[in-house]
Amino acid sequence: MAAVKETIDTVAELERYKYGFTSEVEQEFAPKGLSPDIVRFISEKKGEPEWMLEWRLAAYERWLAMEEPTWAAVKYAPVDYQDLYYYAAPKKKDGPKSLDEVDPELLEIYAKLGIPLKEQEVLAGVQGAPRVAVDAVFDSVSVVTTFKEELAKAGVIFMPISEALREYPDLVRQYLGSVVPVSDNYFAALNSAVFSDGSFVYVPPGVRCPMELSTYFRINASQTGQFERTLIICDKGSYVSYLEGCTAPMRDENQLHAAVVEIVALDDAEVKYSTVQNWYPGDSEGKGGIYNFVTKRADCRGDRSKVSWTQVETGSAVTWKYPSCILKGEDSSGEFYSIAITNGHQQADTGTKMIHLGKNSKSRIIAKAVSAGKSDSTYRGLVSVHPKASGVRNFTQCDSLLIGKECGSHTIPYIEAKNGSAQMEHEATTTRLSEDQLFYAQQRGLSEEEAVALLVNGFVRDVLQELPMEFAVEAQKLVAISLEGSVG
Amino acid sequence: MLKIYNLHASVEDKAILKGLSLEVPAGEVHAIMGPNGAGKSTLGNVIAGRPDYEVTNGSVSWNGVDVLELDPAERAAAGVFLSFQYPVEIPGVPALTFVRTALNAQRRQRGEEEVTAPQFMKLVKEASKSLKMDFDMLKRPLNVGFSGGEKKRMEILQMAVLEPSLLILDETDSGLDIDALRIVSEGVNALRRADRSMLVITHYQRLLDYIKPDRVHVLAGGRIVASGGPELALQLEAEGYDKYLPTAA
Amino acid sequence: MSASAQLNLLDPTTYPSRRVEAWKYSDLARVLRDAPQVSPTANVGTAGAFDDIADTVVVFANGQSDEASFTAAGKQTLALRFVSDATGTAHSARYDVRVPAGSSVTVVESYEGAGSAYASHVRLTYVVEAGGFLTRIVVADDVADAVSIVDAEITLAAGGKLAQTVVSTGAKLQRIETRLAHYADGADARLDGVYVLNGSRHVDLTTVVDHLAANGTTSQLSKGVARDTSRGVFQGKIIVERGADGTDARMGHHALIAGERAEIDAKPELIIYADDVQCAHGNTVGTLDESALFYMQSRGITEDEARALLTTAFLGEVVDRIEREDIRERVDQWLTDRL
Repeated sequence: MAAVKETIDTVAELERYKYGFTSEVEQEFAPKGLSPDIVRFISEKKGEPEWMLEWRLAAYERWLAMEEPTWAAVKYAPVDYQDLYYYAAPKKKDGPKSLDEVDPELLEIYAKLGIPLKEQEVLAGVQGAPRVAVDAVFDSVSVVTTFKEELAKAGVIFMPISEALREYPDLVRQYLGSVVPVSDNYFAALNSAVFSDGSFVYVPPGVRCPMELSTYFRINASQTGQFERTLIICDKGSYVSYLEGCTAPMRDENQLHAAVVEIVALDDAEVKYSTVQNWYPGDSEGKGGIYNFVTKRADCRGDRSKVSWTQVETGSAVTWKYPSCILKGEDSSGEFYSIAITNGHQQADTGTKMIHLGKNSKSRIIAKAVSAGKSDSTYRGLVSVHPKASGVRNFTQCDSLLIGKECGSHTIPYIEAKNGSAQMEHEATTTRLSEDQLFYAQQRGLSEEEAVALLVNGFVRDVLQELPMEFAVEAQKLVAISLEGSVG
Repeated sequence: MLKIYNLHASVEDKAILKGLSLEVPAGEVHAIMGPNGAGKSTLGNVIAGRPDYEVTNGSVSWNGVDVLELDPAERAAAGVFLSFQYPVEIPGVPALTFVRTALNAQRRQRGEEEVTAPQFMKLVKEASKSLKMDFDMLKRPLNVGFSGGEKKRMEILQMAVLEPSLLILDETDSGLDIDALRIVSEGVNALRRADRSMLVITHYQRLLDYIKPDRVHVLAGGRIVASGGPELALQLEAEGYDKYLPTAA
Repeated sequence: MSASAQLNLLDPTTYPSRRVEAWKYSDLARVLRDAPQVSPTANVGTAGAFDDIADTVVVFANGQSDEASFTAAGKQTLALRFVSDATGTAHSARYDVRVPAGSSVTVVESYEGAGSAYASHVRLTYVVEAGGFLTRIVVADDVADAVSIVDAEITLAAGGKLAQTVVSTGAKLQRIETRLAHYADGADARLDGVYVLNGSRHVDLTTVVDHLAANGTTSQLSKGVARDTSRGVFQGKIIVERGADGTDARMGHHALIAGERAEIDAKPELIIYADDVQCAHGNTVGTLDESALFYMQSRGITEDEARALLTTAFLGEVVDRIEREDIRERVDQWLTDRL
């Protein structure tokens, strides 16, 4: 009930895309375009070790030799990779030592986004309110990370990856690129060459991370790509819940976001990774919006390890994203819960890959797609069971809901079983929003838009329930707001 | 007071109501009886504003308000409640959420304060108790997996909480066993009030043993063809609808 | 144009590889590297298994036949025998069938293999006009090391009816592809499939159903069992074009893996551009119900018998959907003989 409870109450207070403001923050840029010099510039800005620069340059070479993928069911104007800024950062003298040193304008932006960056405010908040440690990434750099000290007491490392490269180079080197290799795909190679920041998490053996960790990504500068890199390592028997949120200003141009997230889960470790993606989707004519080309992958390399991806995708003009699990460990388990809502001219091609390599590994996929307006939504997924993986179980459910006659909804699952003991189950349905349900809700007094929001929230409820509480509330607001104007 | 004058309505270009006129004063309970296919359910749906039910002529007003000008949600806020013959299942939306959302949506439309969570819970608990409903059932998605009787009780519970002024009961007795029928009827009777009107649509007289009407109307061929006191229902029970069917006319 | 439509066995540059999405699981370019020689003529001495119930029998021997097309009239049964008797060579055939209004035709296509390592490609077109009813039964019985490709293009006019059942035992690479242009408006299509694979056989059942107009129905049920090191491939694509409202399309594929190293690949797709639709697909891959096996054994049935019985029952659901009793019984027997 919690997931849907406040939907209607909150719809009223929301505008169409309330995160669409731009902020006047003094920034410095690298020159436009991509070249080995730009890669060197970024690496130098970050004070990276030599090996890291070489790693980046090798990635750049690989990227040059690769072609942009065209197999996804999305169409978009070609990206001119030489017409982008690859580095934009708020100007500052030195890195802020504490919150007091952070540019107040930046703090104001995050306050406007509803993101708590001031620990004291969070601490002074309602008793029992959940505390969340936040890493705020503004364009190319992390501006602040909260609760670092308290996390350090538990042994948890949570910091910008640029900082981790300086402070824990061996740990980063051991795992970076081990889940998503440099040459994995075109956008991953690009990211490897130019990523400028992102979050790094290490949870030591047996530690249950004492609070939710969260990164908020904000693209602010114009003509700037955001290439963040997140690396999460959960050592034996540890647990962490990680949240990711994204917003961007409204701009007429398309902006590129090509992130890479790598997760490593060792024996008995558990990672819960939740995303509420609300990048600017473009205007009602389909102009502008973010290209969200993201590679997210978890390596469940430990026995009994578990990784759960939950995503609420409501933003972006074009989404290309398949959070996946490589289930290497015996009895390891992967989950993918997804809500993808497209409206206007949005296009989303999203899904997951569950690669079963370990004995008795399990996976579960629940994907809900809602298409409205002139949008197109595709679920694309792979469940594969390798010859040595006996005792594998998979359950997949993909449901699509269509609102209006001009949208499209597609389901493209690949199911590959190479072991005689695999048990796999896949179900998919596509239906329109029920007129009977709509009328029933209206008869009890709900306006058409309220009724649609309520019914859609019901449709996606199974997935909303997987989100941490504070994200679920935000997510259901988004569900309502993303569908505004889809009926009538 | 409900005033229906010369109402013509069609569904998918097929004329169903053909000049129906009817008045239900405040505080009265009127029964609409008639053979299958006479247009009984159409009448309820037209008053509630169901899409695809096209009014081609005539008028419907409730307490002086022309309801045909309003969209379904506005009619609900104006007090119109249709208890569905087949209540709709809404997966993923708990019954409690649904009712609270509806109540506050109506109150907002009327410019009233929304009810708080504790106020709402109190209201619902009372209503569910008097309808002998298991409160836990209200935490389940609305009507999903409910039995026929549970669905009808859910409708009456919504009536009790939403407090409409015009209650239209469309075949509320269908699918109910005798115990459920009694509980549902008691629920409806408890809602009788001097400022409330009820239209009880039913094929059988049986429901009227429990919900006593002030007036009984026979709907056949899209019009009211006979009206009388409660004794008319008994007469119909004994004689059937034969003499009102087109062939007999 | 689809890769199948361009395929010419004598031209290796037309062989699709796994990089062609529609041939992802059936890499013809790998299996058939070089162009084979053209098969010699062959004589067909034996009678076909469906000759006695057919009004007309047409025989293709290594792709050769005097007949090229058939137009149905009234209620008829046509037996189309594609007999391969060749070793290491290739042959292809074409045949067209028209099903006019008011006619109801049952076509039994049998693919009968002798010899070894031949490559066969049969291309068929079916046009079912308004009020026509086509029942298409495909019985594919190729030799284990053959390459056999059957591709059928079916046009189903508004108000037409199609009922198709494919039963197959695979080959080195066997692909049975059906592309249906579904003009709906009351037209009704059923496309079913059954496969039973042993050894290292491979079958690829591919269907593309394109709903081009409103109010059409499609029902698909395919089932198969893969043993030893065999590989079963099911690709089912249902497209509902813009404006094809009222479409009701359902697809199911259920496979048993009965060999430790057997493989099942499935790709059930829904591509939907209309909103007033009811579409669903289901896909399961699994093994026989262990508790049912044990139950049967506890009543004295041997494990092998129990497996055969349960497998027959599993596959029987598809065969039961064949309307004509005489054909249903023969198909049932044909399958039982191969289990």
